[in-house]
Parts: sequence; C-alpha cells; structure tokens
Amino acid sequence: MQPARDGFVAEEKTAQRSVGRPRSVEAAQASLALLLNLVRTGTATTRQELERRSELGRAVVADRLATMIDLGLLKEGELGQATGGRAPRQMQFRQDAGSLLVSVIDQSSIALGIADLNGQMLVEHHEAAQLDAGPEAILDRLATIFDWLLKETEKPAPWGIGLALPGPIEKPVSDFEAVPVLQTVQSWQDFPFLERMSMRFGVPVFARSGVQTMTMGEAKAGGGRGLSDMIYVKLGRSISAGLISEGHLHRGAQGAAGMIGHSRVGEDLLEAVVGADAIAREGMIAAEDGRSPYLAQAWARQGELSVVDIGHAAQLGDLFCVDLLGRCGRLVGEALAPLTNLVNPALIVIGGVVSESGGDSLLAGIREAVYRQSHPMVSRDLQIIRSQMGASSGLVGAAQVVVEELFAPTILQGWVGQGTPLRHPDFQKSREHVAATLASRAAPPAERVAP
Amino acid sequence: MSIAGLGPHGERAVPADQIQLSETDAINARARRFSVAVVLHTTTSDWSKQELAGIAATLGLHSAALVEVVDCNFDVDLQIAALARLARRPVDAVISIPIGNARVAAAHSALTQSGCKLVLLDNAPTGMLPGADYASVVSTDNFGLGQSCASMLSAHIPANGAAGILGYGIDFFATHEREIAFRKWMATHRPDVTLVRERFAELEGAGPAALAMVDKTPGLSGIFAVWDVPAMKAVRALAEQGIDIPITTVDLGNEVALDMARHGMIKGVGAQLPYDQGSAAARVTLAALLGLPVPPWVALAGREVTPGDVIEAYQVIWHLPAPRAIIDSVQTMASAKTSDATQ
Repeated sequence: MQPARDGFVAEEKTAQRSVGRPRSVEAAQASLALLLNLVRTGTATTRQELERRSELGRAVVADRLATMIDLGLLKEGELGQATGGRAPRQMQFRQDAGSLLVSVIDQSSIALGIADLNGQMLVEHHEAAQLDAGPEAILDRLATIFDWLLKETEKPAPWGIGLALPGPIEKPVSDFEAVPVLQTVQSWQDFPFLERMSMRFGVPVFARSGVQTMTMGEAKAGGGRGLSDMIYVKLGRSISAGLISEGHLHRGAQGAAGMIGHSRVGEDLLEAVVGADAIAREGMIAAEDGRSPYLAQAWARQGELSVVDIGHAAQLGDLFCVDLLGRCGRLVGEALAPLTNLVNPALIVIGGVVSESGGDSLLAGIREAVYRQSHPMVSRDLQIIRSQMGASSGLVGAAQVVVEELFAPTILQGWVGQGTPLRHPDFQKSREHVAATLASRAAPPAERVAP
Repeated sequence: MSIAGLGPHGERAVPADQIQLSETDAINARARRFSVAVVLHTTTSDWSKQELAGIAATLGLHSAALVEVVDCNFDVDLQIAALARLARRPVDAVISIPIGNARVAAAHSALTQSGCKLVLLDNAPTGMLPGADYASVVSTDNFGLGQSCASMLSAHIPANGAAGILGYGIDFFATHEREIAFRKWMATHRPDVTLVRERFAELEGAGPAALAMVDKTPGLSGIFAVWDVPAMKAVRALAEQGIDIPITTVDLGNEVALDMARHGMIKGVGAQLPYDQGSAAARVTLAALLGLPVPPWVALAGREVTPGDVIEAYQVIWHLPAPRAIIDSVQTMASAKTSDATQ
C-alpha cells in the first residue's frame, strides 16, 4: 500500500469515528440546544426518543442531559410508557428556571404580566395610562410594577422582556440589538426606551407591534390554537392586521406588515372612517341631530361618548347604532376580503375595543362583506370570530415572541452551555454597547417609584 | 365613585346597573326554572352573607332555584373537589369566587366544559378566557377602592411623612389591585410620603405585622390595610400597645363600622356593595343562561365611608338598619362634640 494512500485511509477512519461525537465546542452546543428544544416542545422526552430524534449516540445524549440537569435547565420527571422492559424516566424542561416579563403599551392603557419559560402567563395586571404622558413616565410605571410583581408573587428572576408597542417595529439587524421605536409613537422618537428597559432589568428586550403580538397570542391561546393560517384584525383607534402563515408570523420586509388601516375608503383612510374615534364622532353627531335618542341621553348624562356607548346602544336596539356598526363592519370586511383571497386563512379573529363593543352588528357586517367578496374555496370553511382574549392576547403573544427568540436554535446554541441567555456573548456585548451609548447620551436611569 | 380599574383581560367595565333583563327575558327565565349553585371562599363573613342574599333574592325573583351553597373555608383543594362534583350534577349554572389563581383554573374550565354556565366573582384565574372558560366576571372596582383608601389616608399624613401598607402575602388578584392602586395614588398625589409595607399570610399575622411596621418606622402616620378583618386585627394589636394611628381599609364590616362610629383608629373605608354585586351576578347568570350576550367584565363602583356618614352608608351597603351599638356611638360622639362646642 502506498504511503499516500495510507494517509488517506487514516483520515477517512478518523472522520468515521467522529460521526455523532462533538468535534468542537460548537458541535457540543448544537447537541445541547437540539436536545433541550426536543424536551421543551414535548417532541421527545425519554432518553430513547431523544436518541432516535436527535440521531445522537446514547453516551452523548446521557452526557448532554446530565449537563443540562446540572445547569438547572432540565429535570427528571415521571415515568413514561414502558415499551417492553422498565418504564423510561421522562425528562422535563424547567420552565421555572427563569421568568419572562411582558407588557403591552397601548394608546390608553398598559398591560403587564409575568410568564414562565414556556410562555404560560402566571400573573397579569392592566391599568389605564396615557401614551402621551411620554416615554419616561411609561418606563417608570412599567419598571415599578414589574419590580412589585416580581417581589410580590415571588417569581424567578427574568430572562427576557417582551414588549408590544403601538406601531410597527423595525427588524433589528442582529440578535439582541434593541431597535428604535418607530415614527408611529411620535413623541418617543430618539428616546432609548428599549435600551433603558434592557439595562434596568439586565435582560434582552424583544419588541413587536401590538397587533403582531396579539396575533401570536390568539394563535397560541385563543381562537387560533392549533391553526397554521389565520388573520387577526385589531379594530381600535387605529386599524391593523397580523398574519400567521404556515405557522409563522409574517412581519414583512421592514417589520411593518399589516397596516390595513391605511387602505382607502373613498377619499379617506379606513381608520379615519371606522376607527374608535371616528365611530364616537359619528355617534356624537347623531346624538346632536336627534337620530339616536339613546346616545342623546348618554351624552347628556356623561358629557362624552365613546365606541363603548355606541355598542351598548346597538345592543339595546338603537337603530342608528345598529346601522352604524353594520356599515363599519362591511367597510372592514371589504378591506379584509382581498387579504383573505390572497392568504386563504382558516380563521379571522376580530379584536380591539371596536370589536369588543361592536357586538353582533359589526361582526355580521364583516362576515357579509368577506364572504361576498371571497372565492368560494377560500370562504368555504373560513370562520370569522370575535376575540375573547382582550389585551391578554398581546401579553401571551409577547411572551411567545421572547420564547421563540431565546430558544431559536442559533441563539440557543450561544447560551445553552452557560445555563442562561443572560450569559450569551452577543447579549453581553450588546449590553456593553448600550451602556456606552446611554452614558454618552447621559440619560438618567429609570428611577424606582411606588407601583 | 366612578370605575377606575380595568378587567382581568384589560376590558373596560360595563357598570352593573346596565345589566337588566327585559320583560320578555324575565318571562322566559321564569318559565325555564333554572337551578344555580354558588361556591364561596367562606360563607361566614359579612361580605359573603350579603353576597348570597343578593344572589338568592334575585334568582328567586326569576324562579331560579339556588340549590347549593358551598363553603370552601379558604381551601383550594376543597374548591377543586366541589367544582368537580358540581360538574356532574344537573345544575344549569355556578357562581364561583376563585380562591387561588392558577391552581383552581383547570377545575373552573372543566365545569364550563361540562355544559354548565360559569359566572365568576372578583376575578378570573390567569389563563382563563371569557366565552371559552367562563361567561363573565362580576367584580367591585378594586383599583378604585385602593385609590379611595389612599386619598382618605392622605389627609392624616403630614408632609414628608410615612404611611404603611398592611398587605396580603397570598397571590390574590383583588388585594393586589388595591395595593397597586394605593401605591399609584400616593406616588402621583403624595410623592413626599414614604411607603413601608408588611405582609401577613394568615389573618392572625395581621396584628403582629402592624406592630412590626410601627416599630420599624418611627413617625409612621397611617396604615392602609387591604381589607377590614386584618384592619381590625391591627387595631386591637396596636390598641393593646397604647398606639393610636389612622387606618383606612376596604369593606364596612360590623367591627370596622363600630370603630368608625366611636371615632377609633379607622378613619375611612372604601366599601364594596356585596348585596348589589350578588344581585348583578345573578342577573348576569340568568342572561347567560338565556343565551343573551353578556359582557366579560361587569363592575360595581365602591362607596367611600367616613365616620360622619357611617349609619347611612351601613344602610346602603348592607341593606339593613345599622346595629344599635353603632347608632348609639354615633349619637354619643355627636353630643360630646356639641357639648364641647358649647363650653
């Protein structure tokens, strides 16, 4: 045998021996991440299933599981189903190893919650707040309530924050990079809200638009549970939509997908005609000119009218309000029909304050327009329902955003060996960068105040 | 008082007085003779007795039978067992006050899945959704009660003084909301006030917690207790040590009312109206049973009570004349004041 040939054989043997074994730290991290996600998602929980699904050897699986038990990420659970011989011990993900802080900031309210690492909400709180109070006031309030909730409910230390903001959020160029809040929150431009939040709690912050988190929340825990294709429509002061297609949230090139409120209805924008403020305005005109006796009384009593009053009047049979909400529903349906034909969803969920108040008249109007203008195959099994989750959909969705980000294989591999995403090298670098940026801006830290 | 808080899922409140059955609905309800069960944390408190009275009277008016009242004695496992048993019984609806948070969620959801209508009092456990898991939550505006208590206590706290919070150490939505609201009001209107807090997990711990707070905070000028029973435990413990300190609290229990009438430590109360809440819960239950749309959150504003109007407030809240001892105390205090003024 020629020496050169010998060398080639030796090389080949070495390559064969390396199959299924870590050849580097990276490979070890990859196998840890793979096994953690298999257990976490319930895809495989016994050692045998894990070996089969991961295609890793028994010794490697045993070693990785032991490592993750030591790191506090996994624990041994109950006995599984025996398939001949002893019943196998099931592995369990430690969803209480950390917690997730989530918040939905809207024009007139804030919602806050704490979720476990599976994205299951453990506690939530909602309160009225005015966005125009400015970012500093909102930041203080969030920090104060989060501090109080963490202490009061004795939840584990946070691993990440999920924020839903009223407007589109641009995609960051790299992991863990905070992004500026976009133009839709005008008074917040140039305010380092996400950076300050991240530094305040020492965790990464992941932000999405409110409608995108609500869409994810509906898909995870609401009407869209178990469905791969759905549309969520938020009818509030502004109007926007979120899309889950083949199980994934569609964010768009800039992260601004779903701004259907900018569709035209004649000369006006859709949200200028059927947004909560526009409906309230119509109601006030009808109260004034006598078309709605109920609204006239309500206005005299309260001195103001909102879409909630118009919805209540419709429920009590006020003809003007029934007609107004039906008309608004048809306009929303006409904007949704092309989208429905384009993506063929199994479900459309209607949420937001207009939906909560609008009752059956609004929903009937939406259904009428969507079914009339959709292809028969698209509308055959299509369901259009009202959301039951309220602002909780945004909290559940924000938690889901953080779970998906932290446990995305590429990110998970960066921290799984350390036991916590807070030790991810990119996050550490990002923190240093943010600290330096904030110091150069000389922005004062969010002070703690009473919740 | 207007409604300041938001519902368990951020809902805007529908005031309880807007939930009314039409004549036709009432005729339908009477014809169908519904049966309803009630599950309460306890049946012995003044609040529970009035809540039950409101439920029973309103159901009775509509020929609905209150077939069972379960007293869970604050025991989560007892509540879970009771709900499982009711799911197998031929009751049309259950009105329940969830005791724990997540621990009782599954048992409540299972009840709805058994075909029973479920109306919750005070709060929905985290994760439960209206429509799918329950019909509606009927609750007092706990956030508003906390704000009221802060505002009433504020008058007794000097500039740059300190106020204490006697908080409940159990994960319970209503008391959380009251404490958050109290703190928010103080932070907004009295940023000069330093807030301290002690918690109690058992009622017997409320007195020692109040004493500990006074010990640790020299110059403590007032205390907010998250409901009336621990407030009175604190009053007794403090009085035994010769300490007199202004206290505000939630609910006009008999003892609290008597202490106010005697111008004792209790200076103000944000009171729930349990009879009215029970009546609203019964109306919501009947509406849900008739297949009418019901709002996910129905709320009642609380009522502020001061020593000056304790008799009238008692009548409004308890739908009863105030006990003789309260009336006598108010009259004694009034005549003492008059004689002081004439001297």
